[in-house]
Amino acid sequence: MTRFGRSVTLAAALSMSALGAGGAVAAQEHGGVADVARDAVAPASQQEASENQIDIAHHLGNAHEIETPFGILHLPQWEPLHVGGLAIDLSPTKHLVFMLAAAAIVALTFLLSARAVAQAQAQGRPAKGFAGSMEALALYIRQEVVLPNVGHHGEGFAPYLLTLFFFILVMNILGLLPWGATATGNISVTAALALMAFITIEVAGMRTLGWKGYLNTIFYLPPGLPGPLKPIMLVIMTPVEIIGKLSKPFALAVRLFANMTAGHVLVLALIGLTFLFKSYMVGVLASLLATSIMLLELFVAFLQAFVFTLLTSVFIGLMRAEH
Amino acid sequence: MLKLVFLAVQDHAPAAQEHASGPLTVEGGLMLWTIVVFLLLLAILKRFAWPAILGAVEAREQALERQLAEAAHDREQAAAILAEHQKLIAEAKTQAHAIIVEARSVADKDRAHAIEKTKAEQEELLARARREIAAERDRAVAELRRDAVDVSLAAASKLIEKRLDGETDRKLVQDFLVTLDERP
Repeated sequence: MTRFGRSVTLAAALSMSALGAGGAVAAQEHGGVADVARDAVAPASQQEASENQIDIAHHLGNAHEIETPFGILHLPQWEPLHVGGLAIDLSPTKHLVFMLAAAAIVALTFLLSARAVAQAQAQGRPAKGFAGSMEALALYIRQEVVLPNVGHHGEGFAPYLLTLFFFILVMNILGLLPWGATATGNISVTAALALMAFITIEVAGMRTLGWKGYLNTIFYLPPGLPGPLKPIMLVIMTPVEIIGKLSKPFALAVRLFANMTAGHVLVLALIGLTFLFKSYMVGVLASLLATSIMLLELFVAFLQAFVFTLLTSVFIGLMRAEH
Repeated sequence: MLKLVFLAVQDHAPAAQEHASGPLTVEGGLMLWTIVVFLLLLAILKRFAWPAILGAVEAREQALERQLAEAAHDREQAAAILAEHQKLIAEAKTQAHAIIVEARSVADKDRAHAIEKTKAEQEELLARARREIAAERDRAVAELRRDAVDVSLAAASKLIEKRLDGETDRKLVQDFLVTLDERP
Protein backbone atom coordinates (compact mmCIF):
# COMPACT_ATOMS: atom_id res chain seq x y z
CA MET A 1 0.00 0.00 0.00
CA THR A 2 1.18 3.42 -0.92
CA ARG A 3 0.58 6.49 1.04
CA PHE A 4 -0.23 9.51 -1.10
CA GLY A 5 0.50 12.93 0.24
CA ARG A 6 -0.44 14.10 3.64
CA SER A 7 -3.82 14.24 5.23
CA VAL A 8 -5.34 17.00 7.17
CA THR A 9 -6.41 16.20 10.65
CA LEU A 10 -9.00 18.32 12.27
CA ALA A 11 -8.93 17.67 15.92
CA ALA A 12 -11.81 19.15 17.81
CA ALA A 13 -12.75 18.95 21.40
CA LEU A 14 -16.28 17.75 21.88
CA SER A 15 -18.93 18.62 24.32
CA MET A 16 -21.96 16.38 24.35
CA SER A 17 -24.13 19.13 25.78
CA ALA A 18 -23.43 21.47 22.91
CA LEU A 19 -24.88 19.00 20.46
CA GLY A 20 -28.42 19.98 21.45
CA ALA A 21 -27.93 23.27 19.68
CA GLY A 22 -27.45 21.56 16.37
CA GLY A 23 -30.19 21.07 13.81
CA ALA A 24 -31.24 17.83 12.24
CA VAL A 25 -28.05 17.53 10.30
CA ALA A 26 -25.90 18.09 13.30
CA ALA A 27 -27.88 15.46 15.13
CA GLN A 28 -27.40 13.10 12.21
CA GLU A 29 -23.73 13.68 12.14
CA HIS A 30 -23.54 13.61 15.86
CA GLY A 31 -23.40 9.88 16.23
CA GLY A 32 -20.60 9.52 13.73
CA VAL A 33 -18.67 12.47 14.95
CA ALA A 34 -18.98 11.49 18.56
CA ASP A 35 -17.96 7.93 17.88
CA VAL A 36 -15.03 8.96 15.82
CA ALA A 37 -14.03 11.45 18.40
CA ARG A 38 -14.21 8.87 21.11
CA ASP A 39 -12.26 6.28 19.21
CA ALA A 40 -9.93 8.40 17.23
CA VAL A 41 -6.41 7.31 17.70
CA ALA A 42 -5.00 10.31 15.99
CA PRO A 43 -1.31 10.51 15.47
CA ALA A 44 -1.66 13.96 16.89
CA SER A 45 -1.93 12.35 20.27
CA GLN A 46 1.21 14.05 21.40
CA GLN A 47 -0.90 17.17 21.22
CA GLU A 48 -3.38 18.05 23.91
CA ALA A 49 -7.02 16.88 24.02
CA SER A 50 -6.19 13.61 22.43
CA GLU A 51 -9.40 11.91 23.55
CA ASN A 52 -11.78 14.51 22.11
CA GLN A 53 -10.81 14.87 18.50
CA ILE A 54 -12.61 14.78 15.21
CA ASP A 55 -10.19 13.11 12.90
CA ILE A 56 -11.72 14.10 9.57
CA ALA A 57 -9.15 12.12 7.66
CA HIS A 58 -10.04 9.09 9.69
CA HIS A 59 -13.76 9.71 9.29
CA LEU A 60 -13.46 9.97 5.54
CA GLY A 61 -10.85 7.30 5.16
CA ASN A 62 -11.25 3.59 5.05
CA ALA A 63 -11.14 1.45 8.19
CA HIS A 64 -11.51 -2.10 9.38
CA GLU A 65 -14.39 -1.10 11.58
CA ILE A 66 -17.84 0.40 11.05
CA GLU A 67 -19.47 2.98 13.26
CA THR A 68 -23.01 1.98 14.07
CA PRO A 69 -25.58 3.55 16.38
CA PHE A 70 -24.81 0.67 18.76
CA GLY A 71 -21.08 1.04 18.81
CA ILE A 72 -18.14 0.02 16.72
CA LEU A 73 -18.40 -3.08 14.59
CA HIS A 74 -15.01 -4.60 14.00
CA LEU A 75 -14.56 -6.32 10.66
CA PRO A 76 -12.41 -9.40 10.33
CA GLN A 77 -8.91 -8.84 9.11
CA TRP A 78 -7.17 -11.34 6.93
CA GLU A 79 -3.55 -11.74 6.07
CA PRO A 80 -2.73 -9.80 2.89
CA LEU A 81 -2.19 -11.86 -0.24
CA HIS A 82 1.27 -11.53 -1.68
CA VAL A 83 1.22 -11.40 -5.45
CA GLY A 84 4.77 -10.85 -6.56
CA GLY A 85 6.01 -7.87 -4.64
CA LEU A 86 2.49 -6.56 -4.03
CA ALA A 87 0.62 -7.14 -0.81
CA ILE A 88 -3.12 -7.11 -1.49
CA ASP A 89 -5.30 -6.90 1.59
CA LEU A 90 -8.66 -8.40 0.68
CA SER A 91 -10.14 -8.18 4.16
CA PRO A 92 -13.44 -6.26 4.34
CA THR A 93 -13.32 -2.56 5.14
CA LYS A 94 -15.87 0.14 5.86
CA HIS A 95 -15.93 1.32 2.26
CA LEU A 96 -16.24 -2.21 0.94
CA VAL A 97 -19.24 -2.83 3.20
CA PHE A 98 -20.96 0.33 1.98
CA MET A 99 -20.05 -0.49 -1.61
CA LEU A 100 -21.62 -3.92 -1.20
CA ALA A 101 -24.65 -2.28 0.37
CA ALA A 102 -24.90 0.08 -2.59
CA ALA A 103 -24.58 -2.81 -5.03
CA ALA A 104 -27.27 -4.74 -3.15
CA ILE A 105 -29.61 -1.73 -3.13
CA VAL A 106 -29.10 -1.12 -6.86
CA ALA A 107 -29.55 -4.81 -7.69
CA LEU A 108 -32.68 -5.13 -5.55
CA THR A 109 -34.18 -1.88 -6.85
CA PHE A 110 -33.78 -2.77 -10.48
CA LEU A 111 -34.61 -6.46 -10.18
CA LEU A 112 -37.91 -5.52 -8.52
CA SER A 113 -38.49 -2.63 -10.93
CA ALA A 114 -37.78 -4.87 -13.90
CA ARG A 115 -40.32 -7.38 -12.65
CA ALA A 116 -42.95 -4.68 -12.12
CA VAL A 117 -42.21 -3.15 -15.53
CA ALA A 118 -42.44 -6.54 -17.22
CA GLN A 119 -45.76 -7.23 -15.50
CA ALA A 120 -47.10 -3.83 -16.48
CA GLN A 121 -46.00 -4.34 -20.07
CA ALA A 122 -47.65 -7.73 -20.19
CA GLN A 123 -50.88 -6.00 -19.19
CA GLY A 124 -50.28 -3.34 -21.84
CA ARG A 125 -50.01 -0.38 -19.48
CA PRO A 126 -47.04 1.73 -18.40
CA ALA A 127 -45.36 0.89 -15.10
CA LYS A 128 -46.60 2.94 -12.16
CA GLY A 129 -45.13 4.17 -8.91
CA PHE A 130 -41.56 3.44 -7.89
CA ALA A 131 -40.87 0.99 -10.71
CA GLY A 132 -42.20 3.54 -13.19
CA SER A 133 -39.94 6.27 -11.85
CA MET A 134 -36.92 3.96 -11.92
CA GLU A 135 -37.77 3.03 -15.50
CA ALA A 136 -38.09 6.71 -16.41
CA LEU A 137 -34.73 7.48 -14.76
CA ALA A 138 -33.00 4.61 -16.58
CA LEU A 139 -34.61 5.63 -19.88
CA TYR A 140 -33.59 9.24 -19.33
CA ILE A 141 -29.95 8.20 -18.89
CA ARG A 142 -30.17 5.97 -21.94
CA GLN A 143 -31.87 8.50 -24.23
CA GLU A 144 -30.22 11.73 -23.10
CA VAL A 145 -26.77 10.65 -21.94
CA VAL A 146 -25.77 7.37 -23.56
CA LEU A 147 -27.24 7.45 -27.07
CA PRO A 148 -26.43 11.05 -28.11
CA ASN A 149 -22.84 10.84 -26.84
CA VAL A 150 -21.75 7.30 -27.65
CA GLY A 151 -23.04 7.68 -31.19
CA HIS A 152 -24.02 5.05 -33.71
CA HIS A 153 -25.00 1.72 -32.10
CA GLY A 154 -24.59 3.12 -28.59
CA GLU A 155 -27.29 0.73 -27.30
CA GLY A 156 -24.64 -1.86 -26.47
CA PHE A 157 -23.04 0.47 -23.93
CA ALA A 158 -26.31 1.30 -22.18
CA PRO A 159 -26.22 -1.57 -19.62
CA TYR A 160 -22.66 -0.70 -18.54
CA LEU A 161 -23.29 3.04 -18.32
CA LEU A 162 -26.65 2.63 -16.56
CA THR A 163 -25.11 0.28 -13.99
CA LEU A 164 -22.24 2.73 -13.52
CA PHE A 165 -24.61 5.65 -12.96
CA PHE A 166 -26.83 3.95 -10.39
CA PHE A 167 -23.92 2.27 -8.59
CA ILE A 168 -22.08 5.58 -8.15
CA LEU A 169 -25.31 7.39 -7.27
CA VAL A 170 -26.22 4.98 -4.47
CA MET A 171 -22.64 4.96 -3.12
CA ASN A 172 -22.73 8.77 -3.08
CA ILE A 173 -26.08 8.87 -1.29
CA LEU A 174 -25.11 6.25 1.29
CA GLY A 175 -22.35 8.62 2.40
CA LEU A 176 -24.93 11.25 3.29
CA LEU A 177 -26.81 9.01 5.70
CA PRO A 178 -25.97 9.04 9.39
CA TRP A 179 -23.22 6.54 10.16
CA GLY A 180 -22.81 6.19 6.44
CA ALA A 181 -19.54 6.14 4.57
CA THR A 182 -18.89 7.29 1.04
CA ALA A 183 -17.15 4.59 -0.90
CA THR A 184 -16.79 7.02 -3.81
CA GLY A 185 -14.86 9.28 -1.43
CA ASN A 186 -12.08 6.72 -1.58
CA ILE A 187 -9.56 7.15 -4.38
CA SER A 188 -9.15 3.37 -4.68
CA VAL A 189 -12.83 2.95 -5.53
CA THR A 190 -12.96 5.81 -8.02
CA ALA A 191 -9.64 4.67 -9.50
CA ALA A 192 -11.03 1.17 -10.02
CA LEU A 193 -14.19 2.60 -11.64
CA ALA A 194 -12.05 4.86 -13.83
CA LEU A 195 -9.82 1.90 -14.75
CA MET A 196 -12.88 0.00 -15.96
CA ALA A 197 -14.04 3.10 -17.85
CA PHE A 198 -10.56 3.35 -19.41
CA ILE A 199 -10.65 -0.29 -20.52
CA THR A 200 -14.18 0.17 -21.88
CA ILE A 201 -13.15 3.27 -23.82
CA GLU A 202 -10.06 1.64 -25.32
CA VAL A 203 -11.81 -1.65 -26.15
CA ALA A 204 -14.68 0.29 -27.75
CA GLY A 205 -12.06 2.10 -29.82
CA MET A 206 -10.38 -1.15 -30.88
CA ARG A 207 -13.69 -2.75 -31.84
CA THR A 208 -14.92 0.22 -33.84
CA LEU A 209 -11.69 1.37 -35.48
CA GLY A 210 -9.96 -1.99 -35.90
CA TRP A 211 -6.33 -2.60 -34.99
CA LYS A 212 -4.96 -0.23 -37.57
CA GLY A 213 -7.37 2.54 -36.69
CA TYR A 214 -6.77 2.00 -32.98
CA LEU A 215 -2.98 2.16 -33.30
CA ASN A 216 -3.54 5.35 -35.27
CA THR A 217 -4.92 6.91 -32.10
CA ILE A 218 -1.56 6.30 -30.38
CA PHE A 219 0.93 6.71 -33.22
CA TYR A 220 -0.73 9.50 -35.10
CA LEU A 221 0.70 10.78 -38.37
CA PRO A 222 -1.28 13.48 -40.16
CA PRO A 223 -1.74 12.71 -43.85
CA GLY A 224 0.56 14.60 -46.17
CA LEU A 225 3.36 14.94 -43.64
CA PRO A 226 6.77 15.01 -45.38
CA GLY A 227 8.90 11.91 -44.73
CA PRO A 228 11.74 13.41 -42.69
CA LEU A 229 9.23 14.92 -40.25
CA LYS A 230 7.55 11.59 -39.48
CA PRO A 231 9.95 10.31 -36.79
CA ILE A 232 9.99 13.72 -35.10
CA MET A 233 6.19 13.79 -35.14
CA LEU A 234 6.05 10.27 -33.66
CA VAL A 235 8.57 11.07 -30.93
CA ILE A 236 6.70 14.19 -29.87
CA MET A 237 3.10 13.15 -30.38
CA THR A 238 3.08 9.56 -29.11
CA PRO A 239 3.66 10.51 -25.44
CA VAL A 240 1.10 13.30 -25.85
CA GLU A 241 -1.49 10.86 -27.19
CA ILE A 242 -0.79 8.39 -24.38
CA ILE A 243 -1.02 11.13 -21.75
CA GLY A 244 -4.27 12.20 -23.39
CA LYS A 245 -5.63 8.67 -23.01
CA LEU A 246 -4.53 8.33 -19.38
CA SER A 247 -5.60 11.79 -18.27
CA LYS A 248 -9.26 11.06 -19.02
CA PRO A 249 -9.71 8.23 -16.47
CA PHE A 250 -7.38 10.06 -14.06
CA ALA A 251 -9.65 13.10 -14.23
CA LEU A 252 -12.71 10.88 -13.77
CA ALA A 253 -11.24 9.26 -10.67
CA VAL A 254 -10.03 12.48 -9.07
CA ARG A 255 -13.17 14.47 -9.90
CA LEU A 256 -15.50 11.99 -8.23
CA PHE A 257 -13.19 11.39 -5.25
CA ALA A 258 -12.53 15.08 -4.66
CA ASN A 259 -16.17 16.11 -4.98
CA MET A 260 -17.36 13.49 -2.53
CA THR A 261 -14.56 14.22 -0.08
CA ALA A 262 -14.77 18.01 -0.21
CA GLY A 263 -18.43 18.18 0.78
CA HIS A 264 -17.89 15.89 3.75
CA VAL A 265 -14.88 17.88 4.92
CA LEU A 266 -16.96 21.04 4.70
CA VAL A 267 -19.89 19.59 6.67
CA LEU A 268 -17.58 18.22 9.35
CA ALA A 269 -15.68 21.50 9.59
CA LEU A 270 -18.92 23.47 9.96
CA ILE A 271 -20.14 21.18 12.71
CA GLY A 272 -16.73 21.41 14.32
CA LEU A 273 -17.23 25.18 14.55
CA THR A 274 -20.04 24.62 17.03
CA PHE A 275 -17.75 22.81 19.38
CA LEU A 276 -14.93 25.26 18.80
CA PHE A 277 -16.96 28.30 19.83
CA LYS A 278 -19.29 26.54 22.30
CA SER A 279 -21.96 29.06 21.45
CA TYR A 280 -25.67 28.55 20.66
CA MET A 281 -25.53 31.33 18.07
CA VAL A 282 -22.65 29.71 16.26
CA GLY A 283 -24.28 26.31 16.72
CA VAL A 284 -27.53 27.43 15.04
CA LEU A 285 -25.65 29.22 12.27
CA ALA A 286 -23.25 26.37 11.70
CA SER A 287 -26.11 23.86 11.66
CA LEU A 288 -28.03 25.93 9.12
CA LEU A 289 -24.91 26.17 7.02
CA ALA A 290 -24.22 22.48 7.41
CA THR A 291 -27.83 21.73 6.41
CA SER A 292 -27.52 23.78 3.25
CA ILE A 293 -24.20 22.13 2.48
CA MET A 294 -25.87 18.75 2.99
CA LEU A 295 -28.59 19.74 0.50
CA LEU A 296 -25.85 20.80 -1.88
CA GLU A 297 -24.16 17.47 -1.22
CA LEU A 298 -27.38 15.68 -2.16
CA PHE A 299 -27.36 17.55 -5.44
CA VAL A 300 -23.65 16.85 -5.91
CA ALA A 301 -24.27 13.14 -5.28
CA PHE A 302 -26.60 13.07 -8.31
CA LEU A 303 -24.48 15.49 -10.32
CA GLN A 304 -21.22 13.57 -9.93
CA ALA A 305 -22.81 10.23 -10.76
CA PHE A 306 -24.30 11.94 -13.81
CA VAL A 307 -21.01 13.61 -14.75
CA PHE A 308 -19.02 10.38 -14.42
CA THR A 309 -21.52 8.59 -16.67
CA LEU A 310 -21.79 11.47 -19.12
CA LEU A 311 -18.03 11.87 -19.48
CA THR A 312 -17.52 8.13 -19.89
CA SER A 313 -20.17 8.23 -22.66
CA VAL A 314 -18.48 11.22 -24.26
CA PHE A 315 -15.05 9.58 -24.10
CA ILE A 316 -16.40 6.37 -25.65
CA GLY A 317 -18.05 8.44 -28.38
CA LEU A 318 -14.87 10.45 -28.99
CA MET A 319 -12.78 7.30 -29.16
CA ARG A 320 -15.15 5.64 -31.61
CA ALA A 321 -15.25 8.71 -33.85
CA GLU A 322 -11.46 9.21 -33.66
CA HIS A 323 -9.69 10.31 -36.84
CA MET B 1 -10.04 21.30 27.35
CA LEU B 2 -12.37 22.34 24.48
CA LYS B 3 -9.87 23.35 22.00
CA LEU B 4 -9.87 22.89 18.28
CA VAL B 5 -6.47 21.81 17.24
CA PHE B 6 -6.00 22.22 13.59
CA LEU B 7 -3.07 20.09 12.76
CA ALA B 8 -2.49 21.08 9.20
CA VAL B 9 -0.38 18.78 7.10
CA GLN B 10 0.12 16.12 9.68
CA ASP B 11 2.23 13.34 8.30
CA HIS B 12 0.34 10.08 8.54
CA ALA B 13 2.99 7.86 7.02
CA PRO B 14 3.94 6.00 10.17
CA ALA B 15 0.31 5.83 11.30
CA ALA B 16 -0.76 4.17 8.06
CA GLN B 17 0.52 0.88 9.35
CA GLU B 18 -1.55 1.12 12.53
CA HIS B 19 -5.05 2.17 11.51
CA ALA B 20 -6.44 1.43 8.10
CA SER B 21 -5.93 4.50 5.97
CA GLY B 22 -6.77 8.02 4.98
CA PRO B 23 -8.70 9.10 1.89
CA LEU B 24 -5.70 9.30 -0.39
CA THR B 25 -4.42 5.78 0.16
CA VAL B 26 -4.62 3.55 -2.86
CA GLU B 27 -5.63 0.13 -1.57
CA GLY B 28 -5.11 -2.67 -4.06
CA GLY B 29 -7.58 -4.89 -2.25
CA LEU B 30 -10.37 -2.33 -2.37
CA MET B 31 -9.69 -1.67 -6.06
CA LEU B 32 -9.96 -5.38 -6.72
CA TRP B 33 -13.16 -5.57 -4.69
CA THR B 34 -14.61 -2.58 -6.54
CA ILE B 35 -13.98 -4.25 -9.90
CA VAL B 36 -15.43 -7.56 -8.70
CA VAL B 37 -18.53 -5.95 -7.15
CA PHE B 38 -19.14 -3.75 -10.15
CA LEU B 39 -18.75 -6.55 -12.68
CA LEU B 40 -21.02 -8.76 -10.61
CA LEU B 41 -23.64 -6.03 -10.38
CA LEU B 42 -23.32 -5.37 -14.12
CA ALA B 43 -23.73 -9.07 -14.88
CA ILE B 44 -26.82 -9.39 -12.69
CA LEU B 45 -28.50 -6.23 -14.01
CA LYS B 46 -27.58 -6.95 -17.62
CA ARG B 47 -29.04 -10.42 -17.33
CA PHE B 48 -32.18 -9.74 -15.29
CA ALA B 49 -33.00 -6.03 -15.09
CA TRP B 50 -31.99 -3.97 -18.10
CA PRO B 51 -33.64 -6.12 -20.78
CA ALA B 52 -37.04 -5.74 -19.09
CA ILE B 53 -36.63 -2.02 -18.47
CA LEU B 54 -35.02 -1.08 -21.79
CA GLY B 55 -36.61 -3.85 -23.84
CA ALA B 56 -39.87 -2.06 -24.57
CA VAL B 57 -38.09 1.08 -25.73
CA GLU B 58 -35.59 -0.90 -27.79
CA ALA B 59 -38.40 -2.88 -29.40
CA ARG B 60 -40.26 0.35 -30.12
CA GLU B 61 -37.14 1.91 -31.61
CA GLN B 62 -36.51 -1.10 -33.80
CA ALA B 63 -40.16 -1.17 -34.89
CA LEU B 64 -39.96 2.53 -35.75
CA GLU B 65 -36.76 2.04 -37.69
CA ARG B 66 -38.26 -0.90 -39.54
CA GLN B 67 -41.41 1.08 -40.31
CA LEU B 68 -39.36 3.99 -41.57
CA ALA B 69 -37.38 1.70 -43.84
CA GLU B 70 -40.59 0.08 -45.03
CA ALA B 71 -42.16 3.47 -45.70
CA ALA B 72 -39.13 4.54 -47.71
CA HIS B 73 -39.25 1.30 -49.66
CA ASP B 74 -42.99 1.68 -50.27
CA ARG B 75 -42.52 5.24 -51.43
CA GLU B 76 -39.84 4.15 -53.86
CA GLN B 77 -42.06 1.41 -55.17
CA ALA B 78 -44.99 3.80 -55.54
CA ALA B 79 -42.78 6.21 -57.47
CA ALA B 80 -41.62 3.38 -59.74
CA ILE B 81 -45.19 2.24 -60.33
CA LEU B 82 -46.30 5.79 -61.05
CA ALA B 83 -43.47 6.25 -63.56
CA GLU B 84 -44.43 2.97 -65.22
CA HIS B 85 -48.07 4.01 -65.42
CA GLN B 86 -47.13 7.33 -66.92
CA LYS B 87 -45.01 5.54 -69.49
CA LEU B 88 -47.87 3.18 -70.27
CA ILE B 89 -50.32 6.08 -70.67
CA ALA B 90 -47.89 7.88 -72.95
CA GLU B 91 -47.43 4.73 -75.01
CA ALA B 92 -51.18 4.22 -75.24
CA LYS B 93 -51.59 7.80 -76.38
CA THR B 94 -49.03 7.46 -79.15
CA GLN B 95 -50.56 4.16 -80.15
CA ALA B 96 -54.04 5.68 -80.33
CA HIS B 97 -52.69 8.56 -82.37
CA ALA B 98 -51.00 6.16 -84.77
CA ILE B 99 -54.21 4.17 -85.07
CA ILE B 100 -56.26 7.30 -85.82
CA VAL B 101 -53.74 8.46 -88.44
CA GLU B 102 -53.69 5.07 -90.06
CA ALA B 103 -57.49 4.84 -90.05
CA ARG B 104 -57.73 8.25 -91.61
CA SER B 105 -55.29 7.33 -94.37
CA VAL B 106 -57.08 4.05 -94.99
CA ALA B 107 -60.42 5.85 -95.21
CA ASP B 108 -58.94 8.40 -97.60
CA LYS B 109 -57.56 5.65 -99.78
CA ASP B 110 -60.87 3.80 -99.68
CA ARG B 111 -62.80 6.89 -100.70
CA ALA B 112 -60.42 7.67 -103.52
CA HIS B 113 -60.64 4.09 -104.63
CA ALA B 114 -64.46 4.15 -104.53
CA ILE B 115 -64.57 7.38 -106.48
CA GLU B 116 -62.25 5.98 -109.11
CA LYS B 117 -64.22 2.81 -109.32
CA THR B 118 -67.46 4.74 -109.72
CA LYS B 119 -65.90 6.90 -112.38
CA ALA B 120 -64.66 3.85 -114.26
CA GLU B 121 -68.00 2.18 -114.04
CA GLN B 122 -69.70 5.32 -115.24
CA GLU B 123 -67.34 5.58 -118.16
CA GLU B 124 -67.81 1.99 -119.04
CA LEU B 125 -71.56 2.46 -118.85
CA LEU B 126 -71.31 5.48 -121.11
CA ALA B 127 -69.09 3.64 -123.54
CA ARG B 128 -71.47 0.74 -123.66
CA ALA B 129 -74.37 3.07 -124.22
CA ARG B 130 -72.48 4.73 -126.98
CA ARG B 131 -71.59 1.42 -128.50
CA GLU B 132 -75.17 0.31 -128.29
CA ILE B 133 -76.42 3.56 -129.81
CA ALA B 134 -73.93 3.18 -132.62
CA ALA B 135 -74.96 -0.40 -133.22
CA GLU B 136 -78.61 0.61 -133.15
CA ARG B 137 -77.97 3.36 -135.60
CA ASP B 138 -76.02 1.03 -137.91
CA ARG B 139 -78.78 -1.48 -137.76
CA ALA B 140 -81.36 1.21 -138.37
CA VAL B 141 -79.37 2.48 -141.33
CA ALA B 142 -79.03 -1.02 -142.73
CA GLU B 143 -82.74 -1.61 -142.22
CA LEU B 144 -83.56 1.70 -143.80
CA ARG B 145 -81.40 0.82 -146.72
CA ARG B 146 -83.09 -2.49 -147.13
CA ASP B 147 -86.45 -0.79 -146.82
CA ALA B 148 -85.35 1.84 -149.28
CA VAL B 149 -84.31 -0.82 -151.76
CA ASP B 150 -87.63 -2.54 -151.21
CA VAL B 151 -89.53 0.70 -151.63
CA SER B 152 -87.43 1.60 -154.62
CA LEU B 153 -88.00 -1.82 -156.11
CA ALA B 154 -91.69 -1.56 -155.48
CA ALA B 155 -91.75 1.86 -157.00
CA ALA B 156 -89.65 0.60 -159.82
CA SER B 157 -91.88 -2.37 -160.39
CA LYS B 158 -94.82 0.05 -160.46
CA LEU B 159 -92.97 2.09 -162.97
CA ILE B 160 -91.97 -0.94 -164.91
CA GLU B 161 -95.52 -2.12 -164.97
CA LYS B 162 -96.50 1.08 -166.58
CA ARG B 163 -93.62 1.60 -168.98
CA LEU B 164 -90.76 -0.73 -169.32
CA ASP B 165 -88.45 1.53 -170.91
CA GLY B 166 -85.22 -0.21 -170.90
CA GLU B 167 -81.91 1.20 -170.25
CA THR B 168 -82.72 4.73 -169.34
CA ASP B 169 -84.89 3.88 -166.42
CA ARG B 170 -82.47 1.39 -164.99
CA LYS B 171 -79.80 3.98 -164.99
CA LEU B 172 -82.05 6.42 -163.26
CA VAL B 173 -82.70 3.93 -160.42
CA GLN B 174 -79.09 3.13 -160.08
CA ASP B 175 -78.14 6.74 -159.84
CA PHE B 176 -80.75 7.25 -157.29
CA LEU B 177 -79.40 4.34 -155.24
CA VAL B 178 -75.94 5.80 -155.33
CA THR B 179 -77.26 8.99 -153.88
CA LEU B 180 -78.86 6.99 -151.15
CA ASP B 181 -75.58 5.38 -150.44
CA GLU B 182 -73.93 8.72 -150.11
CA ARG B 183 -76.54 9.85 -147.65
CA PRO B 184 -75.74 8.78 -144.14
